Amino acid sequence: MKKTYTKYILIGLAFIIAPFLQQLGVISSSSIIVLGTVMFYSIVSIGLNVLLGYSGLISLGTAGFMGMGAYISAYLTQDLGLPFILSLIISVTIPLFIGLIIGLISLRIEGYYLAIATLGVAEIFRQVFVELDFFTGGFSGKNAGYPDLGVFTLDKMWTYILIAVCLIAIMIITHNIVYSRSGRALLTMRGSEPAAQAMGINLLKYRLMAFGIATLYAALGGVLYVHFIRFAYPSGWNVNLSLQILAVIVIGGMRTITGPVLGAIVVFGVPELILKQLPIIGNVDGLAYIFTGILIIVVILFYPNGLIYIGNDIKKLFKRRHHEKETVSDH
Amino acid sequence: MKKKPCLTINDLTISFGGIKAVDHLNFHILESEIYGLIGPNGAGKTTVFNCITQFYKPNTGSVMFASRNNDLLNLVTMKTHQIISHGLVRTFQNVELIHELSILDNLLVGAHVDFTSTVLQHAFRTKKAREEERLLLERGKDILKFLGLDDKMHDLIGGQPYGILKKVELGRTLMSHPKLIILDEPAAGLNDTETLDLARLLKEIRSNYNCTILLVEHDMRLVMDVCDRICAISFGKKIGEGTPLEIQSNKDVQEAYLGKVDDEDETSTDIR
Amino acid sequence: MSTFLQLLFSSLETGSVYALAALGIIIIFRTSRMTNFAQGSIGMFNAFIATFFLLKTGAPTIVALLVGMLSAFMTGILVDVGIMRHGKNISPISRQMITFGLIMLFLGIAPMIFGSSPMSFPRFIKQGSVEIIGASVTYNAILNISVGIALMLALFYFLQKTKWGLAVRVTASNEETAQLMGVPTKTVTMGAWAVAASLGALSALMLAPAISVNVSMMDNVQINALIACVLGGFQTFYGPVLGAYVIGLTKNMLSYYVSSTWGGALLYVLFLIFIIFKPNGLIGKKRIKKV
Repeated sequence: MKKTYTKYILIGLAFIIAPFLQQLGVISSSSIIVLGTVMFYSIVSIGLNVLLGYSGLISLGTAGFMGMGAYISAYLTQDLGLPFILSLIISVTIPLFIGLIIGLISLRIEGYYLAIATLGVAEIFRQVFVELDFFTGGFSGKNAGYPDLGVFTLDKMWTYILIAVCLIAIMIITHNIVYSRSGRALLTMRGSEPAAQAMGINLLKYRLMAFGIATLYAALGGVLYVHFIRFAYPSGWNVNLSLQILAVIVIGGMRTITGPVLGAIVVFGVPELILKQLPIIGNVDGLAYIFTGILIIVVILFYPNGLIYIGNDIKKLFKRRHHEKETVSDH
Repeated sequence: MKKKPCLTINDLTISFGGIKAVDHLNFHILESEIYGLIGPNGAGKTTVFNCITQFYKPNTGSVMFASRNNDLLNLVTMKTHQIISHGLVRTFQNVELIHELSILDNLLVGAHVDFTSTVLQHAFRTKKAREEERLLLERGKDILKFLGLDDKMHDLIGGQPYGILKKVELGRTLMSHPKLIILDEPAAGLNDTETLDLARLLKEIRSNYNCTILLVEHDMRLVMDVCDRICAISFGKKIGEGTPLEIQSNKDVQEAYLGKVDDEDETSTDIR
Repeated sequence: MSTFLQLLFSSLETGSVYALAALGIIIIFRTSRMTNFAQGSIGMFNAFIATFFLLKTGAPTIVALLVGMLSAFMTGILVDVGIMRHGKNISPISRQMITFGLIMLFLGIAPMIFGSSPMSFPRFIKQGSVEIIGASVTYNAILNISVGIALMLALFYFLQKTKWGLAVRVTASNEETAQLMGVPTKTVTMGAWAVAASLGALSALMLAPAISVNVSMMDNVQINALIACVLGGFQTFYGPVLGAYVIGLTKNMLSYYVSSTWGGALLYVLFLIFIIFKPNGLIGKKRIKKV
């Protein structure tokens, strides 16, 4: 067990090194922002992974819940002057309740019907974000500041480090959940509802759990977003973002904890950090979407377990070559 | 000493779109018995099964079960997922195991109801959560040893041979120390050797784990070998109940399986 | 009364746009057993092609429309043969997610080829309107409504009365059995994608004059088409079409009589409430799971 925690801590540390590298001039300041977004999108994606990968339930409203967390926290800290920690707690709790309601609804509708229903929910959110402009600032968006922890206010680097710490914590906590009795219940619910019921697993309770976790993580991601980027605007929380987060777990690997992190690096990191720097095609509009779109299709068709398993497959390839070499030299 | 009834089916009826799938069925199972439910294809065996385990709700009738503390409970009033907590576990004809979990993990799901740790306790790996997991693992490993599968415990279910899948599902039922195990065609798809092995296993389970077993089965050799008593149904109605010997010589049962037999026919009329 | 009639006619027009898109979705669903979330995106992309053609050649609008539908036809074939066919053995959820990938692909290709600024596409009949019982209806609207209904009737006739239509219905019912019966299911699926894509392009170009040709033009239509399929049920071809008109009417009514800003959102709230009580839609049938 402790060995796997080390893996997560190392990943977090790898991200944390970045601002120090930036101070040394090795990487640019804008790269820090990109890495920060990769981290909080990882958190949101890990949540969606619990919902879709482990529990087999689909939601296209993830972006909406991120937006909710973002706007509520921005309002609470800017307009009401609440300290960050308190605002964080409130900003994840309110979306959590709405997420639980959707979990209730999900008992009645399944599969692609559920996907379509969550689309409807996402649209309602989008309209609310635009119209409730005393709260969200409407089309002009909403500002927020770096987290104010009461005693002192964080700056960009320390907010970044805060996000990394949150990511490590989320990875460890989620790992604990999916490898526990609760996690097995979720997987059983996904694999066979009759078996789950026969084994005493209350489908309602575990659907609520799945939606609860996914919504909580999405709202947390939104709060971290708004206090790092320090700005949120309504058209950003659209279905395309929800689809990108879905792409993260499909490409990275469902039913693993580190898969979503890899996927977030690929979907949110690579386009900004690598593709845009390429000569000629770097400036082409829509390159990121094409890249992600092709990757989803290729991964689903040819690598359905996700890119996270590439490491395993390379190891197997080496083992086989080594084995073949041995048998040949036997003759 | 007279044995107590474990499960009593009273006047069970269920219809699907005007057709009576089960028609005023009555039978009872005594404690520590191995009891068989047989009948030709389409007789309604699986429907009865689902009515007992509350995957279907019957139109009329009751399913009275003697729980662990000897209360008499009518299962019809309960929800599907509540059944196991009273001591009644089932298997599935389609072997409903989870491909993404290991053999051991699939077993552990069987004892899900016996523990109370919450998801928050799991998230932070509290003492209680760790202790429960330890107990669960112990139980699981014991059953794996009993089944002879402990060398495979971490193998994934996906890709295992059919005989092993059937064994694992059987093991899963034992995890919650049940009072009554109901098996849906446990011999389906097994060859002769595996069926003999299953017969031995069932008798061992009855004595080692001190439980009652209800079998819904097609394989006559298995049924006649292990069952203490049998109920035969056809078109949803009971056509015979008794010991294997009594059932074998029951004319109605023979007719249901073989059709009406002429007196002049020389063919053996025993059902084997 | 005349406002109501006015609303009715504009609902018929909106309904036609949704119905064509919904028909495309249901055709693919019933033959390939998957929900095409990219119906709108494919329509959008080919609307760009049609508009580009129009700009470069100055041809009549109807010709540009046909060019758009033709390129959509080929896009559909390409998608089926190049992508979907490789995924024959994967789960329906995964196939659905491939369509999410398609959405992104077209979302990226469109601005790459055509730039990010919206383009304008004119109406088929540029001017003129007529008075019907006090409501003023443009000739263009009448054309759209008639073409929509005519096309759908033609498709239903095709499905019910022709040999190929039978092939489609058989493939829709059970693909394996259809193959055993000698039905060329690969051609049927390919044709389904081609026709669905063309319907999507037509839907987009009918809509284009009102909101201009841009990358997000079909987003609303896509969602409403999917909701139409849920309302009408995925078990029939005509269900989603009916659902589409119901949605068009409800949306316009809500926008006018209740609130123009919240009309759309209210529609979705009503839809959610409806789906909770009738999870199988207006016409859909419930399947009993066998255990």
